[in-house]
Amino acid sequence: MRREDRIVTKLREKLKEKIITINVPRERRIFIHIKPDALRESIKFLRDIGFRHISTITGVDTGDSIELIYHLALDGSIELSLKLKVQKDDHKVPTITDIIPGVVLYEREVHEMFGVNFEGHPDLSPLILPEGWPRNIYPLRKKYTLEHLRNSIFKEEDEK
Amino acid sequence: MSYGSIVKVPFGPQHPALKEPEHFLFEIDGEIIVNVKPRIGYNHRGIEKAFERRTYIQNIYLAERICGICSDAHTTCYTQAIEDLLGLDAPPRARYIRVIVAELERIHSHSLWLGIAVHEIGFDTFFMYLWRDREAVMDILELISGNRVHYAMNTIGGVRRDITPEIIPKIIRSLDFLEKRTKYYMKALRSERTVLKRTVDVGVLKPKDAVELCAVGPTLRASGVKNDVRGDDPYAAYDEIPFNIVTDDGCDVFSRMLVRCGEILESINMIRYALDHMPSGMLRVRMPMAVKPGEAVSRVEAPRGELIHYVKSNGSTRPERYKVRSPTLANIPALCRMFIGQHVADIPIILAGIDPCFACMDRLVFIDVKTNKRKSLDFESFSEMVRKQRNFRLA
Amino acid sequence: MAIIAEAIKWLLKHPVTIKYPFEREAPPKGFRGRPVWDMHRCIGCGLCSRICPSGAIEIIGRGQEAKIKHYVDRCLFCGQCSESCPRNAIKLMNDFEHARYNRDVMIYEYKRET
Ligand code: SF4
Ligand code: SF4
Repeated sequence: MRREDRIVTKLREKLKEKIITINVPRERRIFIHIKPDALRESIKFLRDIGFRHISTITGVDTGDSIELIYHLALDGSIELSLKLKVQKDDHKVPTITDIIPGVVLYEREVHEMFGVNFEGHPDLSPLILPEGWPRNIYPLRKKYTLEHLRNSIFKEEDEK
Repeated sequence: MSYGSIVKVPFGPQHPALKEPEHFLFEIDGEIIVNVKPRIGYNHRGIEKAFERRTYIQNIYLAERICGICSDAHTTCYTQAIEDLLGLDAPPRARYIRVIVAELERIHSHSLWLGIAVHEIGFDTFFMYLWRDREAVMDILELISGNRVHYAMNTIGGVRRDITPEIIPKIIRSLDFLEKRTKYYMKALRSERTVLKRTVDVGVLKPKDAVELCAVGPTLRASGVKNDVRGDDPYAAYDEIPFNIVTDDGCDVFSRMLVRCGEILESINMIRYALDHMPSGMLRVRMPMAVKPGEAVSRVEAPRGELIHYVKSNGSTRPERYKVRSPTLANIPALCRMFIGQHVADIPIILAGIDPCFACMDRLVFIDVKTNKRKSLDFESFSEMVRKQRNFRLA
Repeated sequence: MAIIAEAIKWLLKHPVTIKYPFEREAPPKGFRGRPVWDMHRCIGCGLCSRICPSGAIEIIGRGQEAKIKHYVDRCLFCGQCSESCPRNAIKLMNDFEHARYNRDVMIYEYKRET
């Protein structure tokens, strides 16, 4: 049995019906889609079986919800992408900074770019966007096109 | 010893040691740093958004411009992600050429970094010699790709240029020269008191912290953790080329220097092997017009560490979402840990320890040493001269 | 101390730098410089203008009458246009000194002469 299959079996045993889909498109890549309430549980489990390195968190705007993808690596070799969907507004995403401390900046980045609130994160102050960036404008959401950003933000500045 | 009161010292955004302007807020007690808060994003160019507005071919050149030093690592990562989506495989010769260019880039990046590191501790003689010898690798890269910085070697489905038999002897000659010089520099680093005093036991990052804070690349390897995407998750032709992963147990800035020197030597051997064993054949396969919906994760070991790209396509000619995480961001939490308990004077060298780089500007003023006359050129006379000389050369 | 010996050794040699722009070296063969159009080969299909990653090429009209404007201030010197052109009408030259004070003089126009 391949290493990937062994990990998939372990995950299926542990998370059962909380898994929506799993696929292994090629060697050393695993994509799992889970229910949002299983986040902390699955990250803890994955860390205990060796996925101690988090490469990054990707946010994707899929229209009415936001997809969060946690890219975790097992000893550098197997890259597992853990995916969950959350509502755009009105969501509860727990932080995982206490499980994997290296995730601090990635959560802040997603917070600023997509407006996802990570509950329990020690410090969600601005990291990337400039001072004076308007609140509630999350530049990587699809709604904010370049034209929109140019008109709503830079025009105001020009007028000043 | 504590002085009882904490002073906040802002550092940056403008700092000559950094390529990207970054801001750090240090809290210091006397001379000792007790806390640090990073604030990045002064160089945020909205590249991820820009990816969504360009076609897949145009994005190759956008990916290249994420970083000037590891331009090849970014395009390799980008093209691999798209090839993964399309189910293409680059031909064997192309994979070898990718390795050769990537390793040349690593040599160039590491010697550039080494120069900056010794410059940060005020050892400019060393810096000058290092950068002079770095020209050898820049020249080969220009010879192979046609440009010194943005090589534009990769394309979706292969590489754009071949390494022809005529230039191979030149590459070998430069590699021999670089090997000799790097060995000498390693010896010099080990014996130079200035270097040892400023770097040994400075900016210590314990292996446990390094893993916990998800550090990557030479920063992680200098803490004794054997982790390298080239070996663990091989791409291009790395599974066919033998090499050692260089690690060091010192955990300080000095071992980061040694790891990078060791990697230069490894890279030189890898290029030699790749040049000898390069299969013949096609350089690229044709890319189909449509990219079907899907997603892919691609990883590359850039000179500074693990680089990860994520792409999601929706069936159109442009990607739906493109995510880039460069190694420097991954090393910032570890960097903040390194600062704690260190002296203020060591800030630049610790900062430089994770491998930033800097851009410099130059003016057109020359001093003729013999007559001590300043020759200053305005733009018009400069262009005039260029024109004259060009005619001269053509005639 | 090793560096001091090295420094003394090099003190007696020629400098490694050249005094650009008074002295200059030609770029190597295959250098990617400014793209130049051969309008006798161009069929005015407009592919180069569509593929250019930085929007540096403008094509006015189509077919034999087409006029090409190349904005060298936007050009990345990537060579993608020359690679994509179906008629091989674009060649990259080896000049590299393009900087000017004015963007207007950085536009090159090409038109088929009859
Ligand atoms: S791609 Fe070639 S043939 Fe077509 S318009 Fe451009 S130069 Fe002319
Ligand atoms: S070299 Fe590249 S940037 Fe310049 S005109 Fe051609 S395609 Fe456009």
